[in-house]
Amino acid sequence: MRLEKNQLLIGFVPLIDSAPLVAAKEKGFFEKHGLNVELERHQSWSQIRDKLAAGALDAAHMLAPMAPASWLDNAYGGERFVTGLSLNLNGNAITVSEELYRQMVEADPEAMFERPTSARALKKVIANRLKAGQETINIGTVFPFSSHNYAVRYWLGAEGLNPDRDVRMVVAPPPYMVEHLKEGKIDAFCVGEPWNTLAECDSVGRAIVRSAEIWRHMPEKVLGVRQEWADEFPETHVALVASVLEAAAWLDKRRNRLEIAEILSRNDYIGLQTKALLPSLAGIGALANRKSIIEASDYLIFHRYAANFPWRSHALWFLTQMARWGQIVSPVDLHEIAQGAYLPEIYRAAAGRLGVAYPTIDEKPEGAEEHAWMLSEATTPIAMPSSRFVDGFSFNPDAVISYLEGFKRHNLRISLREIADLHS
Amino acid sequence: MADTPIIVLLVDSNPERAKIVEQGLHGAAVVKQAPSLHGVELLGVIERLQPDAIIIDCESPDRDTIENLQLVARKNPKPIVMFVENGDGALAKEAVRAGVSAYIVDGLSEKRVLPVVEIAIERFRMFDALWRDLEKSKRDLEARKAIERAKGLLMQKRQLSENDAYAAMRTMAMKQKISIKDVADNILSVASLFDE
Repeated sequence: MRLEKNQLLIGFVPLIDSAPLVAAKEKGFFEKHGLNVELERHQSWSQIRDKLAAGALDAAHMLAPMAPASWLDNAYGGERFVTGLSLNLNGNAITVSEELYRQMVEADPEAMFERPTSARALKKVIANRLKAGQETINIGTVFPFSSHNYAVRYWLGAEGLNPDRDVRMVVAPPPYMVEHLKEGKIDAFCVGEPWNTLAECDSVGRAIVRSAEIWRHMPEKVLGVRQEWADEFPETHVALVASVLEAAAWLDKRRNRLEIAEILSRNDYIGLQTKALLPSLAGIGALANRKSIIEASDYLIFHRYAANFPWRSHALWFLTQMARWGQIVSPVDLHEIAQGAYLPEIYRAAAGRLGVAYPTIDEKPEGAEEHAWMLSEATTPIAMPSSRFVDGFSFNPDAVISYLEGFKRHNLRISLREIADLHS
Repeated sequence: MADTPIIVLLVDSNPERAKIVEQGLHGAAVVKQAPSLHGVELLGVIERLQPDAIIIDCESPDRDTIENLQLVARKNPKPIVMFVENGDGALAKEAVRAGVSAYIVDGLSEKRVLPVVEIAIERFRMFDALWRDLEKSKRDLEARKAIERAKGLLMQKRQLSENDAYAAMRTMAMKQKISIKDVADNILSVASLFDE
């Protein structure tokens, strides 16, 4: 297949889930598909976004919500991002400082023994603080448009806490989080690995709940490109998606996880010791209570369960949370954005080339499955996992408005009526 | 209403560049600096200063923190938008290439903001050019030193004139398709073997 372009520059942020890109380069999958790729490390998501928007990068490791967010309000100088591949599911956790953990256990010991741990104890701690005339707690996340932000908010909201009033949400880059927690500048954070493991190892904090417990198999990062780029280089796009898809399948095998941990530990990638990277890759996860190891073999999913498929229902769910928390300020057609930003056809072309089974539908109900199940709307049936939300709600992509109406806790800044009118 | 001066917060961990940018903005804006604050501390400074614009190094990890101000907007009545929001994005591209990011308080007129951002871009470029010149002259100086020493060695060991020694090195460089500096380095490293 003739490629329109074969020299590519791809941006990434030093995190465990940059692994599919790193593996595609180091294990020769890019090369196999005719691509000569250079990976460029970046410090912040803003930088990734700006460089991609300005055309200084061909593609990037990207927080999944950044793709649909780029379609809102002409946000990035009119540049819209699209994705044809999800990089992973799960992988984040909420870690609280030792001090806050102690206070939570004191306030409601019973709640702290429940799995998943709810925000019930936290609610009591905050109430105590406010009563005593103290400030509320600071919670760090990595970017306004991130699964981390929505996971924390969902978790707080499920206990009736208002993330914009009852706590102070701040953003800091992942590599600074542990230090901030240690210095008491923040009391808790939600971040990807290896940073929760590191906080546990350094006895700085306790990982109390994994994002996978807030929403089982929550989508995390994607491979993002500019819409214009995708239109201009369709064959290159498919080759790129095929290479990373193959790398993701390689990562799915347990025996390859040690090798990738060693590669990622290099200074041009993450630059931390292998032993800090291995726990989450090996599926041990961060340990909430050092006496008991959480069974977390699904801590990081790179390929199985159709993990790389860009489900439009994922994009839609992120959009509902943007609306719920006041990030959407004028009425937009959420379905239109999800269809624009997520490109299942690109995935299918790449998967077809590799002989990987793929879904034949673009959306599925999210959070509806209590147990593992089979997806029969696929080229061959695909084993799928439980997809439960912590509060037991489920999301029907055909009923966005009623889903949003169902949240008692929200900070909507638009009227749902107006969105509904656009949708009908 | 008379235009009050624009207050710019400059967040740059590179002191030389910060100085150049500050000088450039003199007269166009009141510049406050926050050279080495991160995360929550930086947010505190921003909340206290209430700047109209923030100019920051594109590479800075603190940019993500600043972007979150959009969410703090309810507490802090001034929503922050990226200056690329309106317009064709050409300025944004230019800024990214120069390595500068800017955050502007919503509602500030474009007429007043553009000069500030343009000056910042120009100053970042100027610093970059200065830096590259400096690096190049350092390298040139090192090359010249090595070449002189290698030439001296050849003159001494092979009893060559200065011109012939240089010509010999040039011939070697052409034959091996390497630079004269590399030839000089080779000569010096071989010579150091024999000295020991």
